[in-house]
Amino acid sequence: MGAGEVAMSTFIDALKFIPQHHDLILHKTAEHLEYSAAAITVALVVAIPLGVWLGHIHRGSFLAINISNVGRALPSLAIIAIGVAVLGLGFVNVMIALVVLAAPPMLTNAYVAVDGVDPSAVDAAKGMGMRPLEVLLRVELPLALPLIFAGIRTAAVYVVATATLPAVAGGGGLGEIIVNQASYRIAGVVAGAICVAALALLAELAFAGLQHAVTPRGLRGSQTLGPGAAVLPPGELSATQGAIPR
Amino acid sequence: MRIRSLGAALAFVLAPVLAACGSSNSSSSTTTSAAAKPGAGKPAITMGAKNFTEEFVLGELYSQALRAKGYTVKLKSNIGSSEITDKALTSGQIDAYPEYTGVIATELAGGKDQPKSAEATYQAAEKYESKRGFTVLEPTPFFDADGLAVKPAYAKKNGLTAVADLSKVGTFSYGAPPENRTRYQGLKGMQQAYGLTHVDFKPLAIGLQYTALDAGKIDVAAIFTTDAKLAGGKYTVLKDTKGIFGFQNVVPVVSKKVLTAEGPEFSNTLNAVSAKLTNTAMQTMNAAVDIDKKKPADVAKTFLQANGLL
Amino acid sequence: MIAALAAAGPVIPDFGTGGAATSCVRANHAFCVGWFRDNWSGVFVPALGQHIKLTVIALVVGFVISAALALLAHRLRWTERSITIVTGILYTIPSLALFQLLVPITGLTLLTAEIALVSYTLLILFRNMLEGLRGVPAEVRDAAHGMGLTQRQVLWQVELPMALPAIFAGLRIATVTIISLATVAAFVVDEGLGKPIFDAIQSDVFKTEIFAAGGLAVAMALLADAALVVVQRLMTPWVRARSR
Repeated sequence: MGAGEVAMSTFIDALKFIPQHHDLILHKTAEHLEYSAAAITVALVVAIPLGVWLGHIHRGSFLAINISNVGRALPSLAIIAIGVAVLGLGFVNVMIALVVLAAPPMLTNAYVAVDGVDPSAVDAAKGMGMRPLEVLLRVELPLALPLIFAGIRTAAVYVVATATLPAVAGGGGLGEIIVNQASYRIAGVVAGAICVAALALLAELAFAGLQHAVTPRGLRGSQTLGPGAAVLPPGELSATQGAIPR
Repeated sequence: MRIRSLGAALAFVLAPVLAACGSSNSSSSTTTSAAAKPGAGKPAITMGAKNFTEEFVLGELYSQALRAKGYTVKLKSNIGSSEITDKALTSGQIDAYPEYTGVIATELAGGKDQPKSAEATYQAAEKYESKRGFTVLEPTPFFDADGLAVKPAYAKKNGLTAVADLSKVGTFSYGAPPENRTRYQGLKGMQQAYGLTHVDFKPLAIGLQYTALDAGKIDVAAIFTTDAKLAGGKYTVLKDTKGIFGFQNVVPVVSKKVLTAEGPEFSNTLNAVSAKLTNTAMQTMNAAVDIDKKKPADVAKTFLQANGLL
Repeated sequence: MIAALAAAGPVIPDFGTGGAATSCVRANHAFCVGWFRDNWSGVFVPALGQHIKLTVIALVVGFVISAALALLAHRLRWTERSITIVTGILYTIPSLALFQLLVPITGLTLLTAEIALVSYTLLILFRNMLEGLRGVPAEVRDAAHGMGLTQRQVLWQVELPMALPAIFAGLRIATVTIISLATVAAFVVDEGLGKPIFDAIQSDVFKTEIFAAGGLAVAMALLADAALVVVQRLMTPWVRARSR
């Protein structure tokens, strides 16, 4: 049997593993989604209001823009390991580590989105006698939503992907199958990997749909909102704005 | 179609780059002035090691001693459980690795009866490996065995001194490496020999079981009797009155072909190292790695130097 | 002779345990400087070197592939969508899963690690390169053609220089991302700053080693980012002049 055939049969075994162990897969997927959903929710509650508010008052750009740059530099493996080292194993601790990874892209995008709303629209609203809160809720937020959701999408997909790592330190989720070759054999490991990959792609599709739904018709199909493009580095603004803001 | 062509393009670009890097990255294991040494000019071998401290140290001890004799040895440590490491051996990814006689005799060979003595275990291991084209060298004086440990408070509360006492507890959670679930020297033996059926099995990576025990995540942990953590009375090891955990001396398992190619000095070198590995020696080295976080390579080097093997 | 040595029993040497460094390590304090210093050359220097190697290979290969893809999409607009989808899928698959999916095909090798790392650079680099090339105003391109420049000359002398800021922006994100992700590569090859992290997790979650390796990875990412900013400024002096 050639190397190619071996690889092929491994993948076939893996595909058989999924229905054969559907209880296990479902259980681990549920665990995986629990971690992810909790982390995304907490990150949303913390990062989005802060980013929107900073963008609204046009302050803290250095923090808001650079936090996602620093966030990206943090190795997720190290963050998870540190979370376990300092806080110990457990649902909340793993979730906190995931929040640390999810919040920066959300914050940055929310800030950039609101900060970048066309000033003439804001001025017009003020001219019509709107109060600052009304301006925020009725003008800035609706215009900023697509970009805010782009950030949420990036963070969410990142969290679903990264939720495989806590298993390395004894946590649960689909990662547990991936790192336990002794229990589940190579077929199980590959099956786990296939499931995680599928889950991440599904999350990507679901959030892309959500983002599409909140995008005004006129802006749909715009290139800048594709996958991964949501994470704006300081430099990427230069591609659209022609200057480097530092 | 498009995906396939992308893959081809990727492979095409990657291949030469990686080849170039690979060649500049040859093993750092070559020893100086090897001309007069018995291992000089012999084919390079890959030594494997399983996925826990004692194996890391053993892998380093054997590899470094061989290198000192001029052999070219690459060490592939932390491969995985016995089952995975054995597969690496039979598929030729590694040429030798330190294994426990009891594991070979019962888990790998799939033998039903537990040998009754260390010598009988060694014989059974030798017989099994020999049939497959491998051989086991001299065993170490030290022996290690699987075992069960609990926190002293838990032992006191439930009146536990031996494994059999666990039947009084009702359901308990048991943290062990995943492969333990299907092993006679593990969950299977606990069920079959001791009738412990109310066990909530929690798979844990080796090394995490003490943390889990401390955190109260599990009630009972699978341990190795040579674990450094067991010294100091922080844990109570339960007596194995029915002998399910067997006898575990370490032997280097080597492919016969490799042994012939490397010459007699190869096994002499490994046997000389094994002869020095008493219980105290092994426990001290495990402690240096586990508790004082010394690197296995440094610990092995210090030990070999002190014993004139380097 | 072997028998004689064995009969003598082993000499159990001092493994250098004891003292302040040891008590810090035993208590698993947040950071034991003494331990870090003792293991700097034995553990962290090689890990750092391997990490740089992992990163540089991934970036160079990723850059070459992305550049080819970006040029293709620039010339043939219809290819853009499929390239974006494929690179987008690769970008989305979790690293640990991708490594494990590749292991049956390419084994526990550097090749496996690099294929996965390269695949994460593609989307970022491709998008930014393409955006950079597209960002060149049509009138500039027309003027260049009007001056008699060939297609190739326009690309090298006009489009590429003008696309540099966007290309660098992509390179910066890709670099930082890969440095961070390369820690997970230790799952398949015993190399890079991920190795001490995995070792530490296995060794009762030894904090000093995790903080040291994680900290080095962050420092490496930030330094590389800063270095790219400097290189970019040297290569595109006009950008700064314009933004004044």
